[in-house]
Amino acid sequence: MEFDAKTPIYYQIEQYINREIIIGHLRPGAQVPAVRQLAITLTVNVNTIQRALANLIGAGILVPERGKGNFVTTDQKVLGKMKQSMIEGEFKALYDHLAALELSPEEMTTAFAQYVQTQQGGERHE
Amino acid sequence: MSDVLTIENLSYRRNWKTILTDVSLQLPAGQIIGLLGANGAGKTTLMRLIAGSAVQFKGQIQVGGQTALARRKAGVSYTGQLTDIDPRWKVGQIAELMAQLHPDFRMADFLQLADLLDLQQKQRFNRLSKGNQRKLALAVTMARRAQLYLLDEPFDGIDVMTRKAMLNSIVRWLPDTATMVISDHHVTDIDQLLDAVVVIKNQTIVAHAAADAIREGGQSIESYFEQFYEGGENDD
Repeated sequence: MEFDAKTPIYYQIEQYINREIIIGHLRPGAQVPAVRQLAITLTVNVNTIQRALANLIGAGILVPERGKGNFVTTDQKVLGKMKQSMIEGEFKALYDHLAALELSPEEMTTAFAQYVQTQQGGERHE
Repeated sequence: MSDVLTIENLSYRRNWKTILTDVSLQLPAGQIIGLLGANGAGKTTLMRLIAGSAVQFKGQIQVGGQTALARRKAGVSYTGQLTDIDPRWKVGQIAELMAQLHPDFRMADFLQLADLLDLQQKQRFNRLSKGNQRKLALAVTMARRAQLYLLDEPFDGIDVMTRKAMLNSIVRWLPDTATMVISDHHVTDIDQLLDAVVVIKNQTIVAHAAADAIREGGQSIESYFEQFYEGGENDD
């Protein structure tokens, strides 16, 4: 995994695990790999993994089971909220970039709707 | 958590030249620390002093609460320990020597590390490429069960793929309660691995900060480090 040098690594790991859950690599109720294994997979240190996991546990996305490890919650409400906030994060970045280009809100929504259409068109032609 | 390394008011001169002045540093157990500084800033000297390879200093150095040289040395595993081996020796012989010198050396771990890093047991030290010598230094260092690991420029002259294998070995083999200090003048080689950075400049430690706290401020470790050396100043 490539990390952004200016964003805390623990935060990037939280986002990574959230994404793994959203795309179904980690299903509700599934066990998350052990701390050391995650550290080796992502080439980061064990403390950083622990911090990321603690934050995900705090948010209710992961549930620790004593002596067994951490598991993805089966609470769909929590997972739905997590997905929603991941999507909002992407939109926020996009919004900030477009606002920096001095696009009005109307121009943004029109431009985005058009873009989505061309993307779909492009896929159909493949 | 208790401190693995405590340095108080350390000063060191060699051949009438001051190399370190009034260095104080405390490192807790279970961390990976990047020791950053320009070439000639004193990174290697500081490691040699901690490891007990350089001895005539003022001040105090404690490793795991031990100050006496022999006891302090026993707790430190240092990549610079290969500097006085016979270069005609084979990789396997060097490992056997390390096993004799250090009771905490684990041959089984060494063999696994050597395998992971693609080192041939029968190859002579002086026939190894510079990169393979670095890999051997890392393997013998990580094969010990020490409290404090000191890696001096472990990735110097190492290609990208090998560096990944080496970083991987570090994460895999570093004991939970041990602390590691890595010096590297390419900060980006190691920045994702670090809990904290320590910056050396003008013969002393000028900063000690948590890596993710630096990133929380929107700064990369590299630019954080570089700001100490802005304005063309150099220790070379």
